[in-house]
Amino acid sequence: MLGELPVRPEGVEASTRRAQPVVVSEDPRDVAWVRQNIPCQTACPAGTNVPAYIHQIMERKYGRSYETNREANVLPGVLGRVCSRPCENACRHGWAGNGEPVAICHLKRVAADMKDAAHRITEQLYAPTGKRVAIVGAGPAGVAAAHDLSLFGHDVVIFEREERPGGMLRYGIPVFRLPRDVLEVELHNALRLGVQLKTGVSIGSGPNEVRVSALLQEYDAVLLATGCMAATRLPLRGAWEGREPTDELRDVEYGLDFLMQMHRGERKRVGRRVAVVGAGFTALDCARVAVRLGAAEATIHIRTAEEYIPVTHEEIFEAKREGVRIKGLRTPVGLRTDENDRLTGVEFCQNRLGGWRAGGRRLAIPIEGSEFVEHCDTLIIAIGQQTVNQYLDVKPEIDRGGYVRIADNGMTSVPNLFAAGDFVKGATTAVEAVGHGRRIAQRIDTWLMGWTRRREAVRIAPVAAPLRSRSFDFIPRQAMPVAALNERVRKSELEVETGLDEPVASEEAKRCYLCDLRYEIDVDRCIYCRACIEVAPRNCIKLIKGVEPGAAAGYDKLVETAEWNQVAAIWIDNNECIRCGQCFTACPVRCISISRCELVQVDV
Amino acid sequence: MSALSHHVVIGSGIAGAQAVATLRARDPDARVTMITLSALHCYKRYDLPRIFRGCRDWRELLAQPPSYYDDQRITVRRATKVANVDTSRGMIQLSHNEEIRFDTLLVASGCRGHLPEELADYKDLIHRFSTFQDAMTVARALPEGGRVIMLGGDMLGLDLARTLIDTGHRVTLIAGEHTFWPHPVTVEQRDRLMGVLHDMGIEVVDGETVGGGIAAIEAGPPGMPARRVVFRDGGDRYGDIVMSFFGLVPSVEFMLGAGLDIERGILVNPSLRTTDERIYAAGDVCQIWSDQERSYRFFYGWKNVRAMGDIAARNMTGAAEAFVPAQDEGLAITPEGQIHSPFWEYE
Repeated sequence: MLGELPVRPEGVEASTRRAQPVVVSEDPRDVAWVRQNIPCQTACPAGTNVPAYIHQIMERKYGRSYETNREANVLPGVLGRVCSRPCENACRHGWAGNGEPVAICHLKRVAADMKDAAHRITEQLYAPTGKRVAIVGAGPAGVAAAHDLSLFGHDVVIFEREERPGGMLRYGIPVFRLPRDVLEVELHNALRLGVQLKTGVSIGSGPNEVRVSALLQEYDAVLLATGCMAATRLPLRGAWEGREPTDELRDVEYGLDFLMQMHRGERKRVGRRVAVVGAGFTALDCARVAVRLGAAEATIHIRTAEEYIPVTHEEIFEAKREGVRIKGLRTPVGLRTDENDRLTGVEFCQNRLGGWRAGGRRLAIPIEGSEFVEHCDTLIIAIGQQTVNQYLDVKPEIDRGGYVRIADNGMTSVPNLFAAGDFVKGATTAVEAVGHGRRIAQRIDTWLMGWTRRREAVRIAPVAAPLRSRSFDFIPRQAMPVAALNERVRKSELEVETGLDEPVASEEAKRCYLCDLRYEIDVDRCIYCRACIEVAPRNCIKLIKGVEPGAAAGYDKLVETAEWNQVAAIWIDNNECIRCGQCFTACPVRCISISRCELVQVDV
Repeated sequence: MSALSHHVVIGSGIAGAQAVATLRARDPDARVTMITLSALHCYKRYDLPRIFRGCRDWRELLAQPPSYYDDQRITVRRATKVANVDTSRGMIQLSHNEEIRFDTLLVASGCRGHLPEELADYKDLIHRFSTFQDAMTVARALPEGGRVIMLGGDMLGLDLARTLIDTGHRVTLIAGEHTFWPHPVTVEQRDRLMGVLHDMGIEVVDGETVGGGIAAIEAGPPGMPARRVVFRDGGDRYGDIVMSFFGLVPSVEFMLGAGLDIERGILVNPSLRTTDERIYAAGDVCQIWSDQERSYRFFYGWKNVRAMGDIAARNMTGAAEAFVPAQDEGLAITPEGQIHSPFWEYE
């Protein structure tokens, strides 16, 4: 263990510092402060209050931590396992010179795993409104929206084509990454507030299908959340140009179909040498499943390089440990078969890297004349997913990408018809789907009620003393324990990541800088002794001659000066601050205050 | 070049050392700085097996005496870790938060031994052989006449193996797909080469015939050698140390935020320039575009690496020359029945 919680310095009593009341502020400067200074929460598509839930883990209040998660995301145990972790990419602890990001996702799972078995869920219910909402699709976006709409007091019915709810979470993610009991419990909790779930119901224009136009007549609002359930076709050239290989070759299939069929209960088989093309979680999952099905060789072929694919390093590492290989800078251009129409190889051409795409990804530019063949006997294509719009008997406006277009209020061009999640945004991630479902639910409520019932504000509460010790900054990132390799193959559904135990979780939680703490110097009481600057571990306390508003309404431009006669204040740069509390402890006149700033939803 | 130019080289291996020499020769007035993780000045890594022949004084391995760098006005920042390269500001950020400005930068940070992910659980039981410190640790751990279990068996490992055999130690090679790396070998060649290794006195275990490889590596029980390697078919081998030789992986982590093109190594054109015109890469860390092969590829071997250091430095100081491989890459068996690899020919 590296250090304990800091003890208040001798002679310093919290009560002697200036007392501050708890305030709830809607001042845009406070909102901007939160956006700028809590990078994990800003990066989270669901807006999870990360510092709060990690601090609650530090205090071993796992149930409360779980509830803090649940305020933003109804599936903490699920996303604590399968989240793509944009928060960790943004974490201040991962900035240059600060070390590695906090294992935010693993800690989310800790909250879910370690809460009491009889944990009481807290929900803030509104009175029934009598409004009825139909949701098409029980994936993460649909479930998140259904939960929030039911909290708002609306009667919600979900229509799901599959036999069970969960969408891609259930049918697209292998059990070794997401145990189904975890999914079941959280789906049940999300939908238990009176949401009616109708599974095995197909929406469409066929004889036994329910039409969207009929739903629009029956319900006050209809939300489409059917995700991206069609695999992207593989464009080949030469003899395979314009042909669909899965129609002709039994050794070729789409990764999405491969996983969905397996999770519907079909028995899947692969050859000895499996090639997977694609660069996302689906590709990685297919390769790992192939290893469990007995493939002697499973290779993922990607167009760019491993560094740029949107998959966590931990997942890549575990896949490689299981024997999966990744080969980069190649684009599939053709297939090789024998006289029996059995696959013998995939023809690729070499790529070079092109410019940058959104999200830190790279373009790949094929090099003419660089074709080569990789031998294999099974090909799994996992190069992306697209929406399916054919089931709609109404005609919402579609954008150039083939995705339905929605207005600011979440509504499509068809009155009363809303859309959320991947169906609007294209294939993204579970956390983005949850976050979008939640936002659209709020907009639907506003539209149904005619006014916005909840608004964002910042709760600012005084904190008596630093909550961290400087020694916490030297704790290394704690590794996620994993199941033994031989066990993984023997029990193909064994969860690979086994979860942090309590002491390890506590150590990891201490690493969080708690960026929601705002350290401020009261310039009226500061005596400019520089004691705080002397003890600061970084260039976080600055002599400034002014502060200018930034683009996002926050005070984020400090005008520094080295001339004493120009100094207007000693200012804590919260962007550089790592909340170690050294300055607070050193200040002889107790003019440094700490407050916790949290985004909250308040009733209007 | 301007007298104000600051050329920075990251790495103190053969490529880096050659580069600073060339930079100084071609730009006498410029500032030249070499940043290295190593606590030692540039030394002959290929000579590390000599440690088993009694050469245990690091000074004997140095490529140049320390005074050379003073004489050449080359600043060497030893035991210094680069955290990031900020290309937008032309700054190298060191792990202790110091920043160094550069006008031109050569990344010659080399490689480290690759440990396959499936063996990651056992890394604390496996000795490496990448640095002088690694080599000394091995030498101290290995008793006289002791047995080394060598996993993988790339050409660096096999070079060490022949020294170990010569010096009275015993070697068990667990062969696999990385044996003879980086030489590509056919099945027929492989069988003959395995025979030669056997004739050299190396015990060769084919990793594929022992249940598909290694199931576990453990500390040996009391009274037995210090390490036990367990195979998937239940068989095992005991040795005093276990060493891994599975080829090399480029040390590029600190460049990942720089915005350069990186696949496994840093991608460079034949002039060894990266996608940033001020930044070059040389040695084992870069993949060079090959017009003939229509692909990016690594070039190994000290002659190639030295040539890259030279070419990169020349191009950093105004030349426009392309890298031409300086040694062939063929693996052969001599008429005397010995393995001949160009990677084993070094000064």
